Formats: sequence, structure tokens, C-alpha cells
Amino acid sequence: MARTKSQAVFKGRTPSPSPSDTDRPAGPLSIVVSPEDRDVVKVNNASLTELKNACDDAVKRYLSRPDLFKQIYLHTDVRLGLGWLSVFTAGGTALYGYKVDFEKSKPVVWAGLALYIFLTLVQTLYAYFIEGETVFVGKRKTFSKRIITERITLSSRTLPIKSTSPLLATLSSPLSVLSPSNSSTSASQSTSSVSTSSLSPSLTTPAYSLSLSYVRSTNGGKSLLAKGKTRSAQPYTAFFDEQGTMDQERFERWVGELVEQGMDGKTA
Amino acid sequence: MFTEELKAFKRLGFRHVLLQVLNFASVIASGLMIWKGLGLITNSESPIVVVLSGSMEPAFYRGDLLFLTNPAHERYHTGDITVYKIPGADIPIVHRVLETHDTRRKNRSTNISSVADQLLLTKGDNNYVDDIELYQGLEWLERRHIVGKVRGFLPYVGYVTIAMNDFPQLKYALLGGLGLLALIQRE
Repeated sequence: MARTKSQAVFKGRTPSPSPSDTDRPAGPLSIVVSPEDRDVVKVNNASLTELKNACDDAVKRYLSRPDLFKQIYLHTDVRLGLGWLSVFTAGGTALYGYKVDFEKSKPVVWAGLALYIFLTLVQTLYAYFIEGETVFVGKRKTFSKRIITERITLSSRTLPIKSTSPLLATLSSPLSVLSPSNSSTSASQSTSSVSTSSLSPSLTTPAYSLSLSYVRSTNGGKSLLAKGKTRSAQPYTAFFDEQGTMDQERFERWVGELVEQGMDGKTA
Repeated sequence: MFTEELKAFKRLGFRHVLLQVLNFASVIASGLMIWKGLGLITNSESPIVVVLSGSMEPAFYRGDLLFLTNPAHERYHTGDITVYKIPGADIPIVHRVLETHDTRRKNRSTNISSVADQLLLTKGDNNYVDDIELYQGLEWLERRHIVGKVRGFLPYVGYVTIAMNDFPQLKYALLGGLGLLALIQRE
């Protein structure tokens, strides 16, 4: 079952109602969303932050639907807990310092400040090392013949524009000076995916890179059924038009294909 | 005007609202902690003050921002510019030290008096008389009345604080605007 990535992203792939492995639960492409359910997403397409946030939100909305995965809010809750705790220590310390004389309040204010710095440090380290670029962590339990537990983790980042120096390009291939550059991405409507592992030296528009890791197990996580890891990138221009309106169906189709690849046990 | 934001909040859920409010609250919290930390490091209860009167001209004008420290084990010398607060009056006063004096405590075995026993007399550069009348009955200022010694200053920056004190609506408008901005944006 070794399909190459370029082959997987082709037209005419049907959603998978009859999986080769009868234990395989339904993938996201087999669940249809009617257009009326969607809100229009419109962002400022000059801001990379807004573009990435819109894509991340679309991923979360898409995969948290009732028939699909249930989002695990562990990272969010840790961030909320630590954050609000640090806000309350800061508030308490400031209030104490306001009520009590300066000299008498010093030890308590030192303690409060130290606690605040500690909590902020833990928050930063958690976000950097443990949470990283994770966007969505989801879990699903299906009951076909036995209880199958699936766990999926998606992380995303923006690939910025990178270009080689024009001098190098002209030196390497003098004949190609007049022909278009050999980058594999051109703006608008191409559906080719930019693979980050075989990154061409020049990227002309920012791209959204989504990586996915998937585990399917049963018996309470003891026997492993399937495992997959994929990654794919698409330029933002494939999903957003000039006004900044997001083509959610196209985005969801791309994400759905990626998830199904992961469910089929591909490794990037 | 808020219907779009409300729709967005409903779509994204309760946790999202908590996160947004947390963003705003943590900005305020970090500001408070930086202020308190600065106070602890400089050993001064208010390390940054604004000059309110013209009694120190031509050195400091109304609206200047002053940076203070209050080293606990250093003596103050004649010529130092200090900020002090008389208990009972809430406003800090910025004047120069004219005379220093050491108390002599009877129960001390040695003749060396500690820094905390220093007594000071101050006068504003632009005033005709020294500050005895401002001391509300005291003859000398004690070290515990001193907020700090001036180490540096920035001209004109303090006018923002003066404006916000004279027109409280400005303060609320600024806070409200910042809050709105923090709640709507996403990082």
C-alpha cells in the first residue's frame, strides 16, 4: 500500500465507504457538511497571523463535528489555569502592597513576585516545549466489533517566503534567466501540494503547513491497530481569495484527505 | 457594532472567551508586577514620580518624570534632590537637601549613628525659604519620610499623568480603549 504523496492528492478520489480493513472507522471525507451550516470567514489577507488563525480555527471546527473527533482541551486548560493563577497572584500581591505600609509589606511582596515569575516561566516553558505548534488534539471511540480508540494530533505553522539570490539562479542555468523560475508553487489555483521534505529553494507565497499524527488502538490502548504520520503544505492563496474570504470547502477537503492518509497508516 | 464579535464568541466557545479575557488580564498583571518589582529593587515605594509644581526650576519643571532610588545603607548628602512625603499629607514633594544632621541616641555605646537616624532639612531651588512650614510641626525630616533620591529624569513625559489626573474621563477612556483592543485581537 505504498502510495506516493503526489499520487494521493489527485482528482477523483472517492470518499472511503468500504475500507480495506473492516475495523477502519469512517474518515472525515465521508461526512458531508451542508453549506448553510457554515459562517462566512473573512480575514485580512495581508496579515499572516490572521490567515494562520483562520486556518487553525477551520481545522478545529472541521474535526470537532459530532461524528468526528472530540477535542481534548488539555493544553488550553493548562494555559488557562496557569495564566489565571498568575493573574490572581499579581492582583493579590498588588492589593496587599497597596493596603500595607511599604516597609512592612516587603517580604510578602517579594514572595508574591517570586511566585508570579515562577508561574510565568512555567507557562512559557510549557507553551514552548510541550505544546509547541499543536493546534488540535482529538479522540474518538467507535464500537464496530470492539471498542476502537483513535487519537489524532495536528500541528501547523506558516512557511514564510524564502527566495534564493537571483545571482545564483542565473549562474546555475543561464538559459533559464528568461523562463519562469523553477519553484514548484505559483500563486492561484494549483492544487499541487508543496512538500516540505522536498522543499524547492524558492517559495513565492507564504504557505500553511499541517502535520498530523494518528494512532488507532483497541483494548484500552494496549493493542495497536494503525499508526500514521503525514504532513502537507499549501500556499495560503489556495484557500483565500483577494477579499480574504476563505474557501472552507476546499480547505476541509484538503484536511480530510490528509486525515484519511493518516488513518490509512502512511508515514511522511 | 458588537453583533459580529458576539457571534464569533458564541462560535468559538466559552474557553475562547476565557482566553481572550486572560490576555487582557495578564497584560495588567504583568504591569502591576513590574511596578512592584521596580519598587522592591529600588527600595522605594514609588520609584517613578511626576513633578507637580515649579518649586525646583530651573532644574525640574512641572510635567517632568523623575526616577528614584532609596538605598537603605547610604547617607544622604547636602545637594541631593529628594522626594518625601509628610505623614498626613498625600502629595510627594521634590526638594533639595540643605542640611543633614545625625541623631545621637542615648542607648548607643558607640558614637557612630546608623544611616536610619539621619535628619534632613530641605528647600526648593525656586523657593525663598526652606520647608519648615511644610513639615507640619516637625523640625527635621526623618529617613522614613523619604521616598527616594532622584537619579534621572525625562522631560515632559509626565504631562500624560497630569492630564489623566485633571480629566478622569481621559483615564477611563484610555483603559476602555485598551481593554476593547485586547479583547478583540488574537495573537
